[in-house]
Amino acid sequence: MLRKLLDSQKEYFEPDGPLHRFHPLYEATDTLLYSTPTVTEHPSHVRDALDLKRMMSIVVFALLPCVLMAMYNTGLQANQAIAAGLEPAGWRASAVTAMGLGFLPGSILSCFVHGATYFLPVFVVTFAAGGTCEVVFAIVRKHEVNEGFFVTGFLFPLILPPTIPLWQVAVGIIFGVVIGKEIFGGTGMNILNPALLARAFLFFAYPAQISGDAVWVAVDGFSGPTLLARAMVDGSQGLLAADMSWWDAFLGFIPGSMGETSTLLCLLGAVILIVTRVGSWRTMAGVAIGSLAVSLLLNAFSGHVKNSYFDVPFYWHFVLGGWAFGTVFMATDPVSSAQTEQGKWIYGLLIGVLAIGIRVTNPAYPEGMMLAILFMNVFAPLIDYGFIQANIKRRAARNVATA
Amino acid sequence: MSRKRRDILLNPLFNNNPIAFQVLGICSALAVTTKMETALVMAVALTVVLSLSNLVVSLLRHYVPTNVRIIFQLAVIASLVIITDQVLKAYLYAISKQLTVFVGLIITNCIVMGRAEAFAMQNGPADSLLDGIGNALGYDAVLLATAFFRELLGSGTLFGVPLLTKVTDGGWYYPNGLMVLSPGAFFFIGLLIWALRTWKPEQVEEE
Amino acid sequence: MSQQRNTTLYTIGFTAAVCVVCSLIVSTTAVSLKPRQASNALLDRQKNIIQVAGLIEPGTDPDREAIQHLFDQYMDPVVIELATGTEVDIDALTFDQTEAARDPARSRDAPPNPAGVKRVPIHGIVYRVVKDGTIDKLILPIEGKGLWSTLYGFIALDGDARTIRGITFYQHGETPGLGGEVDNPGWKARWKARKAFDERGNVTIEVLKKEAGPPEDDPYHVDGLSGATITSRGVSALVRFWLGDNGYKPYIERYNASRSQ
Repeated sequence: MLRKLLDSQKEYFEPDGPLHRFHPLYEATDTLLYSTPTVTEHPSHVRDALDLKRMMSIVVFALLPCVLMAMYNTGLQANQAIAAGLEPAGWRASAVTAMGLGFLPGSILSCFVHGATYFLPVFVVTFAAGGTCEVVFAIVRKHEVNEGFFVTGFLFPLILPPTIPLWQVAVGIIFGVVIGKEIFGGTGMNILNPALLARAFLFFAYPAQISGDAVWVAVDGFSGPTLLARAMVDGSQGLLAADMSWWDAFLGFIPGSMGETSTLLCLLGAVILIVTRVGSWRTMAGVAIGSLAVSLLLNAFSGHVKNSYFDVPFYWHFVLGGWAFGTVFMATDPVSSAQTEQGKWIYGLLIGVLAIGIRVTNPAYPEGMMLAILFMNVFAPLIDYGFIQANIKRRAARNVATA
Repeated sequence: MSRKRRDILLNPLFNNNPIAFQVLGICSALAVTTKMETALVMAVALTVVLSLSNLVVSLLRHYVPTNVRIIFQLAVIASLVIITDQVLKAYLYAISKQLTVFVGLIITNCIVMGRAEAFAMQNGPADSLLDGIGNALGYDAVLLATAFFRELLGSGTLFGVPLLTKVTDGGWYYPNGLMVLSPGAFFFIGLLIWALRTWKPEQVEEE
Repeated sequence: MSQQRNTTLYTIGFTAAVCVVCSLIVSTTAVSLKPRQASNALLDRQKNIIQVAGLIEPGTDPDREAIQHLFDQYMDPVVIELATGTEVDIDALTFDQTEAARDPARSRDAPPNPAGVKRVPIHGIVYRVVKDGTIDKLILPIEGKGLWSTLYGFIALDGDARTIRGITFYQHGETPGLGGEVDNPGWKARWKARKAFDERGNVTIEVLKKEAGPPEDDPYHVDGLSGATITSRGVSALVRFWLGDNGYKPYIERYNASRSQ
């Protein structure tokens, strides 16, 4: 029946119909509900022939565990704070109460629903605001709405703190989509990862709502440092003194950006991406080796510097903040990362080096993953250029030799 | 005013804007545009220097030995800049303190030298004066537009007058910290160039 | 003409003439404007000082006469030797403490300190606010490292040299919204009525990580800035440094001794 409705409306959006300017909207609705009549024939990414839609679906599938964890853990952290004596307040608390659920940290359902009241609004606003941008640009530029935004829309809510004001979510994703992608010509043409750029924008524009001690647990009046903030101030002493263990951090039961907390689920995502060959294992391995090397190096110097962050061991670095999430889902973004196989190694290694370098030696930012990836996004084309030129030279030399 | 003169005066505003099209003078455009007040004073200072330097260079253009012409232009521009700086320190002390070195750095502003060498050395004093004023106005327009948005979005004020009440003062507006940082000006000028080239597609460089 | 103006002699003559004319114009302007600039600079310093003293509202722009009038009526700045606390004969209006701290001849290395102060000037300035013949406030310059930047400001003590009347930072580059909240009038008001020193004269004021009690019950602690651990720590350290032995403590001890006589 829906099919009939869509078909009956189709004529209005045909090139000579009255609503043809809005054809992209019609097309998007149609292909979202049904499989598209035309399949992508040309590679959308400059140098990657993998079907765009299939790739996007795999990434989203790999992200799903993190999405579920985002809802559960956001609720868990909030419920723990409430159990410790803070008062639940606001429409979210009323909604949870109205459903007959309490605020018990032990109840999986309560945690999940309470967390969902934070995650889902952010998610919906991201898609509404970002999707509107996509559609507007598609109409103005007269191309079809493509799936490019789909993954960005999933990634962005996962890297935000649960208490982020919704209007900032909208402003951020609009900036990310317009400045990060549309300016460069749309999906596949962007230099930077739009979701990360959107977060970086919020980070510099509204630092109070995206960093600090008060934003990570979704209960009014809660203020407590994240493990990263503890590490920055007191080094590994601070981590050991915290009431959260390494295993909590590995499994993800710690305060943090909604979808980033669980290293385990990021690993699961990594397996999916690597097995399906959507994400590059070279990039991920590069980041890990780079981070490992730098943290060992910094550990070696930790006796000689006042900065106690130097002594944090690598196995903590790997489970804190956005390291795992960034490595698996952000660094491997096929559009903004390096494209050549050797380039991916260099690109990954430098992200790892920079991320730990920024974390430890920068006095203000306990986290360095976002800035490291964005910075290397900018250099990715240069790295590729180097390898491609070297390759051309080598081939030319070989041809001369055989000739 | 003849059509030619009008073109000399008005072309640099949109068609051949020194910042948005030629991408000159960006350094000061980033530095002084966090507030309308400093941007306005900087705009006036540059207008004075650029129009007078064009006039003086043009008046003396037949007497300048060609092999020292750049040094001559520099001497004229530097003198004008120092005088402007001194006058500001004497009469607008508070603002000149905020502008710090940037008035002095007008000497190195490529727009001033560029117009002296490219226009004033070849044209009569009246045309050169108009060209100086025109290019200065092109610079001023971008400077003031940038400052307008940076101050309004970054601090919620215009000329220091609060328009959007900040949350910290009990209002509703969250000031955008990015606008106060220099990259804010980069983003804004970038968007401006984008808008201008969408409006006038002939400005887009060939690939 | 074009032949003639490229001869060496003409070139030298022309260059010399341009140089002479330009330098004449520039130096005439500079010399004639000098007195006005000097009086501007003085007025600016006076205005800053009376602003710190709370004699004018920040943001208001009083004219020349008003500033001079207020300054002459209430302000009595003196320069002291920090190590001994004795007054010295240096004109307080032209003394620039920040500059003195940079001048190797007029400063010494600071001992290692958590406030990140590298050089301490030999001499320091104290702005005394006099009302009805008695000293109403002592205003002391403070500076030190926060997270990103060096914070410059003043702390105002009551005439009893123990109770804090206010704190202000006129220059810093901390994160807006987090450490930048050192500007926040609400937070600055939390300092009022706290005690900088305990009964025996030890510096006890401290910025906590959490909230402090009301001044009556918890006089030696100030609320931390939420989400800005390092800035809070820096502010705590720099206040304690400048009120301590390397800062103004010798002067305050002398001041208390002279008051109790």
